[in-house]
Amino acid sequence: MSRKNDLPSLWSGLDRKAMAVAEFTLRQQRKRLSTWVVLLVGIAAMGVLTMFYIDSMTRDYEAVDNDGDSYDWDGDGYPNGQERLYGTDILDVDSHPGLLDPPVLPDDASVWINEDDFDWAALEEGSVGYDDNGDCDVEERTDSQKDANGNGIPCDIQLTLNRYSDSYSVRSDGNVDEDPDDEAYALEAIHRSFVLAIGKLGVVFLIGIFVPLFMATGLIRQEMTSGTMHFMLAKPIARSEVFLYRILGFLAIAWTYVTLLIVLLAIVTGFAGPSDGIFRFADLGVWLSVWLAALLAIMVYSMLFCMLGVLWKHGMVLALPIAAWELGMILTTLGAPDAAILRFSVIGWAMNIVDAGAALAWADLPLLIQMGMWGGGYGPLEGAEALNTFASTPGLNLSALATMTVSGLVLVGQAAICWFLGSTLFKSKEIE
Amino acid sequence: MIPDVTQQGRPPSTDSPAPTQNVPVVYFQGVSKSYGRIHALSNITLALSGGVTGLLGMNGAGKSTLFKLLMGKLRPSAGEVKLFGTDPWKNPAPYAKVGFVPEHEKMHDWMTALDFVSTFARLHGMTRKEAEAEALRVLEFVGLSDVANKEIGRFSKGMRQRTKIAHALVNDPELIILDEPLQGCDPLARTTIMNVIRELGKMGRTVLVSSHILNEIERITEQIVILHHGKLVALGNLHAIRERLDQIPHTIRIVGEDARSMAKDILDHPAVYGLSFPNDTELLIQTYHFGQLHAELPRLIVENNHRVSLIDNPDDDLESLLNYLAGGSA
Amino acid sequence: MSDEERLQPEAPVTGQGRIDVAWGANTGDETEQELSRANTAQGGEVFEQHYTPWQGTLNPRWMRNWAILRHHLLGIFRKGHRPWTMPTRIFILIAFLASLSDAGMTLLSGLVGSSEFHSLFGVSRDNLYGHVLGFFPRNVLYYPIIAALLVGSVISEDREHGTSALYFSRPVSRVDYVGMKFVSVSLIQALVVLGSYILYFLAEVVAYGRGWAWMVDVFPMFLAGFVAGLLLIFTYTSIGLSLSSVSTGRFFPGIGLLAIVFGSKTLASIVKNLFGREILYLTSPYDCVAHVGQAIIGTQTTYDQYSWTYSLLALVVMNALALYVLASRVASMEVTRE
Repeated sequence: MSRKNDLPSLWSGLDRKAMAVAEFTLRQQRKRLSTWVVLLVGIAAMGVLTMFYIDSMTRDYEAVDNDGDSYDWDGDGYPNGQERLYGTDILDVDSHPGLLDPPVLPDDASVWINEDDFDWAALEEGSVGYDDNGDCDVEERTDSQKDANGNGIPCDIQLTLNRYSDSYSVRSDGNVDEDPDDEAYALEAIHRSFVLAIGKLGVVFLIGIFVPLFMATGLIRQEMTSGTMHFMLAKPIARSEVFLYRILGFLAIAWTYVTLLIVLLAIVTGFAGPSDGIFRFADLGVWLSVWLAALLAIMVYSMLFCMLGVLWKHGMVLALPIAAWELGMILTTLGAPDAAILRFSVIGWAMNIVDAGAALAWADLPLLIQMGMWGGGYGPLEGAEALNTFASTPGLNLSALATMTVSGLVLVGQAAICWFLGSTLFKSKEIE
Repeated sequence: MIPDVTQQGRPPSTDSPAPTQNVPVVYFQGVSKSYGRIHALSNITLALSGGVTGLLGMNGAGKSTLFKLLMGKLRPSAGEVKLFGTDPWKNPAPYAKVGFVPEHEKMHDWMTALDFVSTFARLHGMTRKEAEAEALRVLEFVGLSDVANKEIGRFSKGMRQRTKIAHALVNDPELIILDEPLQGCDPLARTTIMNVIRELGKMGRTVLVSSHILNEIERITEQIVILHHGKLVALGNLHAIRERLDQIPHTIRIVGEDARSMAKDILDHPAVYGLSFPNDTELLIQTYHFGQLHAELPRLIVENNHRVSLIDNPDDDLESLLNYLAGGSA
Repeated sequence: MSDEERLQPEAPVTGQGRIDVAWGANTGDETEQELSRANTAQGGEVFEQHYTPWQGTLNPRWMRNWAILRHHLLGIFRKGHRPWTMPTRIFILIAFLASLSDAGMTLLSGLVGSSEFHSLFGVSRDNLYGHVLGFFPRNVLYYPIIAALLVGSVISEDREHGTSALYFSRPVSRVDYVGMKFVSVSLIQALVVLGSYILYFLAEVVAYGRGWAWMVDVFPMFLAGFVAGLLLIFTYTSIGLSLSSVSTGRFFPGIGLLAIVFGSKTLASIVKNLFGREILYLTSPYDCVAHVGQAIIGTQTTYDQYSWTYSLLALVVMNALALYVLASRVASMEVTRE
């Protein structure tokens, strides 16, 4: 026989077997109706979320006049803010800037809504903020009112870092940055929280756990119960290889699927989100980290569930509580990203990657949350609480890049452990 | 190298490689296998090399267990299993020279026969092209080349069995193990498969075929191994074994209306050497030629117009085995 | 040992003797004719067979159905009935004990006599609701998983192994068959959900010596919780069984049920938190039951953008859809091994 003469090298031999098993697995999954149902339901679910997102991006957000200076209490045609600025009596119809010399024309009321937007450049301790409309430094206010936060600088905002909670407290001198642009903030915040929410909960968690749960739990076990595993195990291929290559075949589907899904989401949100240009390129970094986290999570989960399937005929009994545990853990990451218990989950590490990616791509994220929650001193702006819910700091107390590297390595390690355990179990399994 | 032989036997190829190793292809030394309290195999010692060997036994006799031990799917509870001189447990290396046809009916129904065979050929390290060529060749060998591109799910049972055999032959193996290959096949498929097996034997391969029907094995080979309740009962030439077993003294119990008058008629039969009456309605017959007597007993009873409510064999185990050897249907 | 002795059935099996007997003998199969020994029959007889028709009377329908139900229910407790897998049974036991935690705490608070403790764990409107419909851990870790484990095998396994033929070859209609499966799966869940609920209520009565007046007072609330529990069980079962009837796999129905319950809940809460819209809760079976439960028990509803009747309507639609799938699948189910 000719093939015996040109014996393949060890590597190419392995390579061929890997391709054969992976391709076999891929085609097997492709022929199953349940595969398509699961994948389509996943797309549909993400589609529904995206619909809500697009709706919220095209909606009008009511501009709120936080400090009430767009009203004209005395009915003289001049908004209170303008009267204050010129020192006239806001309650006296006969006192308004139009009587000054030279006379000032009345502003439209809308000028005094959202008139003092945020202007903090970066998040650092000390004095920030600028009073755009000049209603802080007016004569009727005393010096102590102008420096309410007591840092010696009138009309500014004092940011103080709380070392324990790692968050800033905002103390304003009053009337500084007090009336931000609600719509601009809401769009930006909702956009970012959507990217984070669908990335973390939708793609990395829901897709990342249920696709392996549906498709990988039975990769070995189903073949073992139906007896078709006998064909493969009678060939000169180690069982650990069978385990690995079956997973590779599954990953070929799952990774392609999740990649496509993320590309679609990135394109849709990139165009629909608020931006100066046409496309929000800044988000791509976040999507990249979501992609990385999703790939790794799918890999770990598929190894884990496949291992449970090998371990026990009723592996599902173990897999379902694990899925419920991971659901609990992802809820924990939203609230307490540095809880130690997260180290005992898969999703906790995957979330670290997304959070680190967000910290890298959106360096101003904590600032954005801070400003939104402060809201010019009048409480959270629309979108701020959502952003605060879905964004969290990477929980390892390391730099973003280090967090990403460490978490990625941990996930790869988890996958390797599951593979090792799974193939060891599989090797010592007697097959009826 | 595999000659194109399907339905008709052709002269065997002369350049067939004989097994060169000194070690036996299949070697069992004191092997036992138990599942909990059930002993599937006990203390099997066996060595085989070359030729076609039929593994005979009833359902549950331990035939499949023996094969699974050989294919490293089960670990022996005691003893030593060697396949080409190496332990197959946790060691897939010797399978490069083995083709295994499992008994399971379930196959990958969604694949075409060609895909099925070539996929598993690739697990022997062939490239896609080589695998496909090889797959076509073995499919032709088992007579399936015209349906190679049809889905297995639409195959008849005989075609499925042949597909399984093809997949096992794809690496040109030195040892071929067939677990119940004739089960559920129609006569035509049966003949084809038998021809294939005989042909493989002629090519110098070691072939192990299991069956619970003697006639099938008889048509393939005379070299048999008989397993019964996990024990190795006999090994060797079929005819010699049958003669031996037939001559073991044996008891048949008949329950009828009048045992004494029945005894008169049966005593005349040359195979009977003893009779006894535990009570009025029961008759115990001792015989050396069980098969013969058993075949003729109904005629004797009917001819003499006896009323019989039960024909029974007190020493059950050996009995049922003999039933198989005597033709299965008694 | 002579040859004769070695061939005795009692003789120790060595394999050695047999090899001498025949190994050297003719192994040839050169001539096929020689092999196919003529198995000539020496004559045959046809025995007369009499079949007598069955003259008995069929037991009433409820009795046959009771047999099916009993077979499924008793399988939880002992052998010889439907073999629910061991892990399933262990999980049910664990979940049952875990869901009794509030009953235990109530007893403890009765012993300690601390009223703060009691207000935390004792019977109250909120706690009765929480016992049946609380999300974490009860409707994450216990109840949906029990439902998933039960439905995972109940019809799909019958389809996989062809054991539904055991029923359909007897005087049992398909409707009865699937109905009894439904009832037995529901009853097992009820044993955990409502059984622990009743025990919780009794624990309060025992720990605080509650009299009739209290019981009559609290009973409507208790009853509302009971109904909510029934609704929860019914919904989980109908969705689960419909999944079980469309698949033959062991894993699919269980995972599918969990994916529907958790997936829809997660999506709905994303939409709620992000966009402030609660509409998606209408697609989540758990949230719909919770909303209806909150309304009938009378606790503070967490869903305030729409009326609870919408949730009820959504539940009706969900269950109708699931039951329709179940009914049509079972009606057209092929009684074979698939």
